Amino acid sequence: MAENDRKDVTQEAVGREVEAAVNDQLAGLPPEQADAMRERIRRRVQEEMERELRARTSKDRREAARLAREALRKEKQHEEGEMFQRFNRNFRFQHMVMFSSVIILIVTGMPLKFPEFVLSRWVITFLGGIKNSTIVHRVGAGMLIYFMVHHLLYTVLTRDGRRDFWLLLPGLKDAKDIQQNIRHFLGKTPEKPRFGRFSYIEKFDYWAVYWGCIIMIGSGLFLWFETDVLRFLPKYTLDVAHEMHSDEALLATLAIVIWHFYNVHFNPDRFPGTLLWWHGQLSEHEMREEHPLELEEILARRAKEAAEVTHR
Amino acid sequence: MRRLLLAVVVVLLGAGVLAGPAREAGAAISLEKCTLCHGKPEFRKLLVDGHIRELYVTADTLKGSVHEKKTCTDCHFDVAEIPHRERPKRVACTHCHFKGNKEGAPQSDNVLAYFDSAHGQAIARGNPKAPLCQDCHGSHAVMKAKTPESKVSRFKVAETCGRCHMEIYAQYKTSIHGVMLAKGVGDVPSCPGCHGEHRIFKHDDPQSSVFATKVSEQCSKCHASIAIMSKFGIDVEPAATYKESFHGVASQFGSRTVANCSSCHGVHDIRPPDDPLSMVNPKNVPKTCGKCHPGASANFAVGKMHVDAKKKEAGIIYWTATFFKWLTIGTMLALIVHIFLDMYGRTRRLRGEQ
Repeated sequence: MAENDRKDVTQEAVGREVEAAVNDQLAGLPPEQADAMRERIRRRVQEEMERELRARTSKDRREAARLAREALRKEKQHEEGEMFQRFNRNFRFQHMVMFSSVIILIVTGMPLKFPEFVLSRWVITFLGGIKNSTIVHRVGAGMLIYFMVHHLLYTVLTRDGRRDFWLLLPGLKDAKDIQQNIRHFLGKTPEKPRFGRFSYIEKFDYWAVYWGCIIMIGSGLFLWFETDVLRFLPKYTLDVAHEMHSDEALLATLAIVIWHFYNVHFNPDRFPGTLLWWHGQLSEHEMREEHPLELEEILARRAKEAAEVTHR
Repeated sequence: MRRLLLAVVVVLLGAGVLAGPAREAGAAISLEKCTLCHGKPEFRKLLVDGHIRELYVTADTLKGSVHEKKTCTDCHFDVAEIPHRERPKRVACTHCHFKGNKEGAPQSDNVLAYFDSAHGQAIARGNPKAPLCQDCHGSHAVMKAKTPESKVSRFKVAETCGRCHMEIYAQYKTSIHGVMLAKGVGDVPSCPGCHGEHRIFKHDDPQSSVFATKVSEQCSKCHASIAIMSKFGIDVEPAATYKESFHGVASQFGSRTVANCSSCHGVHDIRPPDDPLSMVNPKNVPKTCGKCHPGASANFAVGKMHVDAKKKEAGIIYWTATFFKWLTIGTMLALIVHIFLDMYGRTRRLRGEQ
């Protein structure tokens, strides 16, 4: 609005000035000719002025657009409401270590399962040969093992870790939630299941990683220290480990690429992804949509604390 | 005096006129002239290193060879004097065997391949021990490779190579391939079967057909063929299982240090696994594996080596593979169905349906 006003004022002032000058020049001409000439000059001047104004105001307009975006964001944020800290810094760090290591492991591991695939050859060539790729794979393995140890200690030693562990255990409610969610998808019921801190989807992801880590790290260590393992165990155990490592790798990769990516990247609510993994926060709006029970719990706790404070 | 002078002139002229044809005759020394000396059985030369060079040649020497109709100087064309002033040069087969020769001598590009090969390169560097054509194909008894008597025939070529590569030939002769060859089995490889005929390179030359990364391909030519292997009751599975194993995959990606067929089974001394001297005999497995896996224990030999997880005989490995197969199918099916239901629900709500 302000931008347009200023534009009009400038335009008018300049317009008057030009008109006066033109009138002086055209004083001696016959009226029809003078009118035609005046009309042409007016049009030309208008064009010139608009061009100049465009250049002069582009900076202003960029600024205005920024302010508008800011306002929109604030408006949206108002709608979204307060931000709730869902994952603490420790947990986010674990997730980052894990996804980095898993990406490394998949990129360097899959070529061994599908050596005929064109990309496999590219990856191995890019890394400078199979020797290098095996070293990089072991670096990834080291990171995953570190993550596993870190997470186990986190689960045992921290309050948040212990609380989340109990909340992650599957229960009867999850079975009901699955049933209701499917009914909701099919349009049989308008109500979405009301999830607590962890929905059955998140619980599945969590325990899938648990299972995957146990299988992959266990069999991977067999393959890594084959000579030492074979000192105590027969060779076919190594073959079993190899088979497990190879098959579970495929299962984990598919689950991540199809299931996890759909849930956190490709589904229309999230596309192309959120920064939850970075700041660990969910807005009130998202909490209400996805974790209503947890939100209620938090709000109830707050109300109780506030009440306690006023009582005192 | 004048008569004498005339006589001298006439004699000189005559000598000049006669000298031409006489030289022609000398260039094509007849067989008879050669056998004058070479036809004596005791005609030989004692060399400074104590070796004896047999020089006995008769009219029958070329009989039965492809050069039956040639005479000595067709190949030994540098011999013009008797006795020879210098030792005649080694015969150059390319004198006739070049493309478009008038003689109609057969020529393939094999000769070019030979010049690139380890042997040809050694000759080019001036190694006097390196073999020329005649060292393998025979000097006088040159026969087509298909003729059983030929020095390069299927059953004789190993012996020919063994003239220089003695230790390897001795190893080969006791290997399963060598033994079967001696029994007259034509399917087994002798030297050219793996190393190639003219394109022979050192095993550490990437062009070689037995370069580390190409060994399995070379063995698979026969060992992956049911048609050949069924004759001997040998399984073709190991060729495929090797390719799928880590060793095989790493080899396909160009690793030269990872185990290929011959790392475990041997190179020239390949023996069947039940032979106690075989590198893959269970008793020798720890030692064989230990070449790359230091400290390999006897447990390396417990369980099938070339195991195919897709076959029921693999036992626990098969059941592991089957379990994971169904686990993957089941899990992914459930997850994908969930995703599609979710998308279906979203579409419904977008359309405004409940």
